[in-house]
Amino acid sequence: MMDAGRHSRVSLMTLSEVEEITGYVGNFHVKVRRKARYVDSGKCTACGECVNVCPVLRPDEYQSGLSTRKAIHIPFAQAVPSSYILNMDDCLGNNPIACGKCAEVCEKDCIDFNDQDRIEEFDVGAVVVAIGMDVFDAREVPEYGYGRYQNVIDSMEFERLICAGGPTGGHFVRPSDRSRPVRIGFVQCVGSRSRVHGAEYCSNICCMNTVKDTLLLGEHYPDTESKVFYTDIRAFGKGFEEMYNRSREEGVKYIRGLPGEIEEDPATGNLLVHVENTLTGELEEHEFDLVVLSVGVRPPKDRDRIQKLLTLSKTPSGFLMESHPKLMPVDAPTRGVYIAGCVEAPKDVKESVCQAGTAAARAGNLLSAGEVTIEAYTCRIDAEICNNCGQCAKVCPYHAISFVKGAKTPPTVVEAACAGCGTCGSECRFGAITMRHFTDQQIEAQIDAMLAVDPMDQIFTFACNWCSYAGGDMAGISRLQHPASGRLIRTMCSGRVDESWVLRAFRKGAPMVLLSGCHFADCHYIDANRQTVKRVLRLWDKLEKLGIRPERLQLEWISAAEGQKFAKVFQVLEEHRLRVTKEEIEQTVKVLEEEHLKKLAREAKQAAKRAEKTAEATA
Amino acid sequence: MEQARIGVFVCDCGLNIASTVDCGAVALAAEEMPDVACVVRNKYTCADPGQNEIKKAIAEHGLNRVVVASCSPRMHEPTFRNCVEEAGVNPYLMEMVNLREHCSWVHTNQKEAATRKAIDLVRAGVARAGLLEAQEEAQVPVTRAALVIGGGITGIQAALDLANGGHQVYLVEKEASIGGLMAKLDKTYPTMDCSI
Amino acid sequence: MSVATKFKCLRCGHEFDGHYDPKAPLVEWTCPLPECKSNSIRPMKEKKRE
Repeated sequence: MMDAGRHSRVSLMTLSEVEEITGYVGNFHVKVRRKARYVDSGKCTACGECVNVCPVLRPDEYQSGLSTRKAIHIPFAQAVPSSYILNMDDCLGNNPIACGKCAEVCEKDCIDFNDQDRIEEFDVGAVVVAIGMDVFDAREVPEYGYGRYQNVIDSMEFERLICAGGPTGGHFVRPSDRSRPVRIGFVQCVGSRSRVHGAEYCSNICCMNTVKDTLLLGEHYPDTESKVFYTDIRAFGKGFEEMYNRSREEGVKYIRGLPGEIEEDPATGNLLVHVENTLTGELEEHEFDLVVLSVGVRPPKDRDRIQKLLTLSKTPSGFLMESHPKLMPVDAPTRGVYIAGCVEAPKDVKESVCQAGTAAARAGNLLSAGEVTIEAYTCRIDAEICNNCGQCAKVCPYHAISFVKGAKTPPTVVEAACAGCGTCGSECRFGAITMRHFTDQQIEAQIDAMLAVDPMDQIFTFACNWCSYAGGDMAGISRLQHPASGRLIRTMCSGRVDESWVLRAFRKGAPMVLLSGCHFADCHYIDANRQTVKRVLRLWDKLEKLGIRPERLQLEWISAAEGQKFAKVFQVLEEHRLRVTKEEIEQTVKVLEEEHLKKLAREAKQAAKRAEKTAEATA
Repeated sequence: MEQARIGVFVCDCGLNIASTVDCGAVALAAEEMPDVACVVRNKYTCADPGQNEIKKAIAEHGLNRVVVASCSPRMHEPTFRNCVEEAGVNPYLMEMVNLREHCSWVHTNQKEAATRKAIDLVRAGVARAGLLEAQEEAQVPVTRAALVIGGGITGIQAALDLANGGHQVYLVEKEASIGGLMAKLDKTYPTMDCSI
Repeated sequence: MSVATKFKCLRCGHEFDGHYDPKAPLVEWTCPLPECKSNSIRPMKEKKRE
């Protein structure tokens, strides 16, 4: 911690939040809100005079609320930066009648009641997301009585109570009467591995944390009688099994089975634990002076905000999704962004440090290279065909198309700003936009070739590169079996999918068409997939008008992590496909062929008109 | 546009693809597809021998388009783009067809249907490949600084590693001090050392 | 303006009530039936009254 505070190349910004990140790999622009601290951390010597005079007492967050702090305080003794902070929500204010005492005694004059939030802006080439985790709130499991029974604490409170820097100076006492507990029960998997409370996943660290706690207690107070209620003890890491064995050898009792209920004896404050021992099948009762709930890891509260800022994805359990579970474990799906620590998945200190190093190395490689190649997926506008309607500029999520209303010159594309979603291309009614590497002609050729043989057997699918196609890959990696009728065409974004392609697939005899993209929060092109929805709504109307069942066109959001959803969608759509009759398809093909001929005639007319105009102009 | 001369490389991926998809049938079907100048079946196309076969075929048959029917492009597109580029073909003239993640791995018990699907996917890939155009990639400079969001043990470690590597780092922490959750722990397993 | 609208799931056929404002930013629509959860949700237009 000290090193990071002192390092000449680290700009430390505490009490700060990233508000906006724009740009792309190698070239991000960042806006950070630096919140008012009301104490100049450069001048503050942490002498503590201010604290002595501050009259406001509040629960100390660092000590899990087990002791108090003042309105002006230092977060904890070893804090970096080593400076006080004034919490304005608690402060009485700099009104001579109200208070203002801290400012009076501060010799360095570092307290500024008028301090304000500042926005700082800077450029970076890479971003490491290490926003950590939250702790499961044990109140969600009412049968354990946390929050109701004083002597039921969670594992974070245990840490503070056993710590020499804690509220009791390391004297381990129980909250109800400050006596030293001798009989201590630990309950594992609180908020983990449960379909009822908390989450289904294993939180990874709680088994070993409890093993450590029992050893600490044995070290401090050899007469402690610890019992651990567990599902399985997962001691899989280097040195872990040895540590677990040591705990057993020191007399800690491990009882397989999670308590159904904890009761308090109001007279003594002692706790009665009811549990079914799953090894013996017996119902048991154990009395304790204190019970520690070994609470699980939850995704951090800030996840949604950061996910949105950087267009990241999350797994069904809520942690951030990596590009590849084995080969790119710290690369985020957004290039130039890396994820590390508990926000990726619950993990211990050693693993966090390892992953931090990996993320730093990956980011460092990018920075050291000094240059980065951008894939050639950008759009181009053909000025001759362009009708100057400006619709492309309207739908571009990146404002990469400059269009001036009423101007004679057609819109132009700022290539560095274009991210390549292609939604402009499918929005253009005049065919004036070419999306490089995903041109209309290329995709149409794919549609025709795919449906050239036995189209009736196909669920024709358009999938975006980042989520849906990757969700299909995830189904593959997980071997999630589903009917073999799906035929996928990949575009970078579902927003690229042209309405005419969907109609083309039906015209070529597809019984079902599926359009799939990222969930709204995951869209890799900010909000380009909102255009997908608008097009699908228009298509449903159109199909209905033409006498084609709208149900034959389906829309699904499938994230890169949702292999299961991907497989399920195809299982369900297979039932739909089998219900589409040969006659129905023939009728659809006939109707759409007629529509197509009409469209060709219209286009021929337009082309003739254009040719006439050009001829006039030249004459 | 010049006449397309397409090479199709069908990968067995050991048994990953070949145990479900009849790769021989796929290769045979590919030979009949328009503009296909040669079809090669590999045990592992991504391995050096497989890549060498692609390079050899490009030279021997004057290929100007390459279709690799193997795994997901999200996995090996960079591999095969590099491969064809080394043989003098623009990387954007290479198209991948996903026979593994999207086909053999998820249709294990539907061998015949999986093979038909594989042939459809290859046919679409070949049709697309014929219309691919060479592209030039833009090179953009990189700002030599990093943002680390979160000042817990992970963020601190990442920031220090980057800074020690010579890069400027902005370490942003929402609380008043860095340290995160770990600073609240007393001792950490397995060696019982202090957390701060 | 947000108006009360009937939605129909085009996967399972379930119809449900909701609000839809064509001018406001779209939100992700999902079929409320837990066994379906499809995103093929169509806001149904009011049939004109005779």
